[in-house]
Amino acid sequence: MTTLWPRLEPLLPRVSKPARYIGCEDGMQRPTVGPHLTSWLLAYPDTYEIGLPNQGLQILYELLNERPDASAERTYAPWIDLEAEMRAAGLPLFSVDTHRAAGDFDIIAFNLSAELVYTNVLNCIDLAGLDVRAARRNDDDPLIGAGGHCAYNPEPLADFVDFFVIGDGEEVVAEITEAVGAWKRTGKRPGTRATILRDLAGIEGVYVPAMYDIAYDGPALAAVTPKYPDVPALVAKRTVADLAEWPYPRRQLVPVTEVVHDRLSVEVFRGCTRGCRFCQAGMITRPVRERPAAQVREMVTSGLERSGYDEVSLMSLSTADYSGIAELVRDTVTAGGAGGNTTGGTGGADANRISVSLPSMRVDAFTVDVAAQVSRARRTGLTFAPEAGSWRLRQIINKLITEEDLYGAVRSAYSQGWHRMKLYFLTGLPSEMDPDTEAIAHLADACTRIGQEYTKRASVTVSLGGFVPKPHTPFQWFGQNPPEELARKVRLVRSALGRNRRVQLKWHDPAASTAEGIASRGDRRVGAVIEYVWRKGGTFQEWSERFDLSLWEEAMAACGLSLDWYVYRHRGEHEVLPWDHIGAGLHRDFLWHDWQDALAGHGLPDCRWTPCYDCGACTEYGIEHMVASPVAPNGGSQGTGQDLATGHLVPVELRPRQLAGAGAPSGGGA
Amino acid sequence: MSLKLRVRFSKVGKIRFIGHRDVARVTERAVRKVGLPVAYSQGFSPRMKLSFGLALPTGYESEAEFVELPLVADAVRDGGAAEPGARHAAGPVIVCRSGTHAPCEHGLQSAGPGYCTVAEALSEALPVGMEVSAATLVDGRGPSLQAAVHSCGWQFEIVGLDASAAAKAVADFLAAGTVVTERVHKGETVSSDIRPSVEVLQVVGCSDRGAVLNAELSATPRVVRPSELVPALAPAHEMGIARRTHQWTSGAAGRAEPAVPAVCAQKNKEPISG
Repeated sequence: MTTLWPRLEPLLPRVSKPARYIGCEDGMQRPTVGPHLTSWLLAYPDTYEIGLPNQGLQILYELLNERPDASAERTYAPWIDLEAEMRAAGLPLFSVDTHRAAGDFDIIAFNLSAELVYTNVLNCIDLAGLDVRAARRNDDDPLIGAGGHCAYNPEPLADFVDFFVIGDGEEVVAEITEAVGAWKRTGKRPGTRATILRDLAGIEGVYVPAMYDIAYDGPALAAVTPKYPDVPALVAKRTVADLAEWPYPRRQLVPVTEVVHDRLSVEVFRGCTRGCRFCQAGMITRPVRERPAAQVREMVTSGLERSGYDEVSLMSLSTADYSGIAELVRDTVTAGGAGGNTTGGTGGADANRISVSLPSMRVDAFTVDVAAQVSRARRTGLTFAPEAGSWRLRQIINKLITEEDLYGAVRSAYSQGWHRMKLYFLTGLPSEMDPDTEAIAHLADACTRIGQEYTKRASVTVSLGGFVPKPHTPFQWFGQNPPEELARKVRLVRSALGRNRRVQLKWHDPAASTAEGIASRGDRRVGAVIEYVWRKGGTFQEWSERFDLSLWEEAMAACGLSLDWYVYRHRGEHEVLPWDHIGAGLHRDFLWHDWQDALAGHGLPDCRWTPCYDCGACTEYGIEHMVASPVAPNGGSQGTGQDLATGHLVPVELRPRQLAGAGAPSGGGA
Repeated sequence: MSLKLRVRFSKVGKIRFIGHRDVARVTERAVRKVGLPVAYSQGFSPRMKLSFGLALPTGYESEAEFVELPLVADAVRDGGAAEPGARHAAGPVIVCRSGTHAPCEHGLQSAGPGYCTVAEALSEALPVGMEVSAATLVDGRGPSLQAAVHSCGWQFEIVGLDASAAAKAVADFLAAGTVVTERVHKGETVSSDIRPSVEVLQVVGCSDRGAVLNAELSATPRVVRPSELVPALAPAHEMGIARRTHQWTSGAAGRAEPAVPAVCAQKNKEPISG
């Protein structure tokens, strides 16, 4: 266990942003090594500033280091300048904690947050000094693991990764640690790698690709079959039933250099049942599990005191849906101990207030109340996601918000002092026609007109993303729009906007959506494409200056695969999908019916507050929603046209309200 | 009278690779962790009013970094009467959220658990490698450090150069009337004479990487860095670790540093060869 720092240090003055590679964060653990410890290297396959804030990685980092039988360090993909220096100097991939070589660890576990990082995964394995192909690695080489949302279709990386974790990682990493620890104590003898892999395949929520036979029928996938009777035919996801038992990270890493989310983050709930049909995260993380309000407040207060941050992000897939959100924001703004630290006449009254950022906000839940609470401190950026321009199309994607909902939220924001906001839309959605696309421009225009009632500077940024169908969603059968069509739709919005200078249009590169589509719904044969792109130098494909679609097209051709088959084609009801052997809890017939309902324009209400329609996520696992309020926090129909006040008839497990005197009251959510 | 807290700190080891803006961010968080009553700017997005001395290039070490923190009006109190039971010397104290701290003057020692100086509290809140060696109260109306500093002391290595070769190079350099070097400034290559900025240059020894030199470089007409000297001294060699040792201002009796290290705050100094 020698540190590579003395060899790395002389390279750092030659590269950009050397602080990416030094560690030194507040909250950095001091991991020890030894034969009795299973050592994990948690890897984020993109740059440090993107990977460091990742909460999933930080949670596992702490949990593993708390265990007496494990230790964990972190690594991030070195940028191309350092990679060149490392290859020239023969320096392998290293951890940022103690700068140990990646090859010294028992497990290298990748976080897969996006498909376009797949080539970076291969690059990191290669930089670690290992063969990228799992089948060619040696018995005592580190095991390569992967988890995160993209692991729900593991097949494109199946040739390179030894095991995947499906679902929440908090509990399963303990079981993996024990299994690998037992193997380590036997000395990882030659010929035993297959044994440990088979042991791992027996752990619930762990998928080991080498344990399955794949059969094809021409271009179609015919079957995925376990090789042994003890290997599960369906690998079901892991779900942590009660977030209250997992108040992590307790010591969030505070970096010494700038990162993308440079603030305290507290996860307020996990899961979302709004049922947006394009949204993979909302489908695979069900049910809704709220963190108790008292615990959120405690994590905010102690986190701020420890970190020195003056901004908190209350994280979830749709934070405004949190029971008692307005009260929580109110208390968070003053959680920095205002009053104890007088600012006298030199600072504004707001100097000690904590800025609150609310990612992923639904417009129907962003009320003037919430806006007023947030704006008491330095205003954070606001992003609303109507996702589609017309009500017709929003019914199809089940984003059940009306124009009035959007205008209400926008009015709330402008009236509370915001000058600009971002509106996020998808284009290339099922059944989308030109009037739907053009409606995006009309919505944006209407928003700026509302803004002008409050400020002369009112403006709106429209961010347009090309829709990529994702596994385990009702839209998994939909044929993706080709880049030419996505580009045409972008032009449509641009021309519909005319010369409206108050609307700034930004769009995601349609070509990148195609590459994402290859990896998103690819089968095991796509692995060769990823390897081809990587071997041709195609790393950091998430970075527009590094992305090149022609490389992917060349790779598909070289592997004899068709873009039309993998990306642009609609799938049929009975087609074997590459991820059918991975269980997200959702019944396949629920997804198919929801897809048919989508095409018929039928909406589906949020099952937190209305009766269960049995998607499978709860019933399959014997778990339930855990929410503090039996009705939608902001009342009304939430765009469903139904009376959601009947929520108490729904079989949800309600958290008891906080006891009187136990800190701040959680307030009446309804 | 408005008062500023003038803080001297180091930047050594791995932390030398963070940039100037990063240092500002890290310092801001440390101030908040300690709960120092520092003044904020007015307006819609109030920011802490920090002012630093001359910026240190990323990758350089230093034992002479300075930051001034303007304090709010009622921040400083007479320590004699504050906090019953507190064990500290009489004199001014600063009431922070995390406790009452004395500014760190020469000779003042930490008196025990539950009590520490501002310097100790800030060192604790800063990353490893950034240690506060002094924190003194100064008049808030004085000139900015950036304007007051007229020269800097440096120690730097030239990798793979032995001491005698270094001594000859230094002698040649000092004997020259002009030393014109090229550098890239805002995308353009500009050449300038660096000789007038070099007040002192001498070889002081050897590390395991090469010759170690001391230099004093003036901040006028422009700030010259040690990395600009190395190509002029030994074109075939790279600079090793460079460390700022002093920032000089004009004092009443000749030159002076904005704050000198106090005994109470010395700890964990890493040698340049480490």
